[in-house]
Amino acid sequence: MDNEKLEAQLIDYIDGKLSEKEKAEVEQELMLNEEAYKLYEQLKEVIRTIDHAKPMEPSLRLKQQFEASLREEIAAQQKQKSIFMHPATYRIAAAVALLILGGGVGFWLSTNNQHQQELARLRKEMEATKTMMMAMIENNQSASQRLQGVNVALSISSVDADIVRALSHTLREDPNTNVRLAALDALSKFHNEPGVRKVLIDALSTQNDPVVQIALIQLLVKMKEQSIVNDLQDLVNDEGTMKAVKDEAYSGLMKLS
Amino acid sequence: MTDESIMEAVKNGDLNLASLLFDRYHKRIYNFLARLCMDREQAEDLTQNVFLRIIRYRNSYKEGLRFQSWIYQVARNVFSDHYQKHKNRTADFFDVERITDYMADADDDRNAEEQERLLRRSMEKLSDEQRELLILTRFQHMKYEDVAVIMNTTVANIKVKVHRAIGKLREFYFELDKI
Repeated sequence: MDNEKLEAQLIDYIDGKLSEKEKAEVEQELMLNEEAYKLYEQLKEVIRTIDHAKPMEPSLRLKQQFEASLREEIAAQQKQKSIFMHPATYRIAAAVALLILGGGVGFWLSTNNQHQQELARLRKEMEATKTMMMAMIENNQSASQRLQGVNVALSISSVDADIVRALSHTLREDPNTNVRLAALDALSKFHNEPGVRKVLIDALSTQNDPVVQIALIQLLVKMKEQSIVNDLQDLVNDEGTMKAVKDEAYSGLMKLS
Repeated sequence: MTDESIMEAVKNGDLNLASLLFDRYHKRIYNFLARLCMDREQAEDLTQNVFLRIIRYRNSYKEGLRFQSWIYQVARNVFSDHYQKHKNRTADFFDVERITDYMADADDDRNAEEQERLLRRSMEKLSDEQRELLILTRFQHMKYEDVAVIMNTTVANIKVKVHRAIGKLREFYFELDKI
């Protein structure tokens, strides 16, 4: 039996933890082996000394200190509770919350009101601009006024049906080429607006000013408007069509086909 | 009322009940720490810290965990923290007045006081782990199963280590006896 195993067996023997068979084996070893017996005696003394060691008594100070600390902890706990649960605290918290909420709503209303006022002001300005612009476009007396009106239309970012109608009318009917060209420019900017595409297509068959015709062909080809192929073909075949217009129409046919 | 149900109540805010746990455990924890740090006054401070941690960190107590295992784990942590801070431990384990407490039950062959002194000095020479194992299993008569939980290992491992620790203690004891 190796030493470590023997030692373990002897400890269990002293502790009374061995089976009858194991116990007999150990006793046999103790009778035959002097070293084992010496080891047994030493282990027995050490274990007995441990067993006889009396528990130590702490001083009264320990309990007193614990009780003092416990009181402090309880007081701290109650203080913590009082911060969160005292009715007065609730009232103050509610008042603060109301104040913040009130301030927030007030601010929102005020901001909202400012926005509303701003919008109204802008809308008013837009209305005024539109009225002025329409008045200029429809000024039969002055081509420069109409031109200026169309340029105003060109500078605005969005148009409504009234403006589209006015610009279409100008493109079709205005006696001044420059004004019609400006109207064409403005309409090309808004070619995605409902009805504008049709106005432009129709204009191709009605316009007879070469400058306007060329600009119109370029625009419609750029818009990839396939439905103008027949109109372009007519322009190419028409002997009265100017060469430059014919070339543009021919070029357009090439690009669209 | 079981230790566990008291601890649950403490966890739920009934701090007054912590004094019941103190009454049930403070002597065992004190003895564990006194033999571990070999300084009785220090052991009182450490015991105090253990119970303060139990109260302050009450929310970390997991339902279903045996309270005894938990408090010993806390005590081990307290000792470990203390040990890290004060690596130069003093050996004034027993003062003169208290040594008389150990005079009873004198041995036939050998003076009990001498045996106690040898035991203390032999315990000092053990590793911290061996000393801790002997305190729990031999001085405090804790079951191997419970010690295995506290030390987070297996019962078989504890058993082997305890046997080795006793063997080592015997060696030191009789070496010192010759001096």
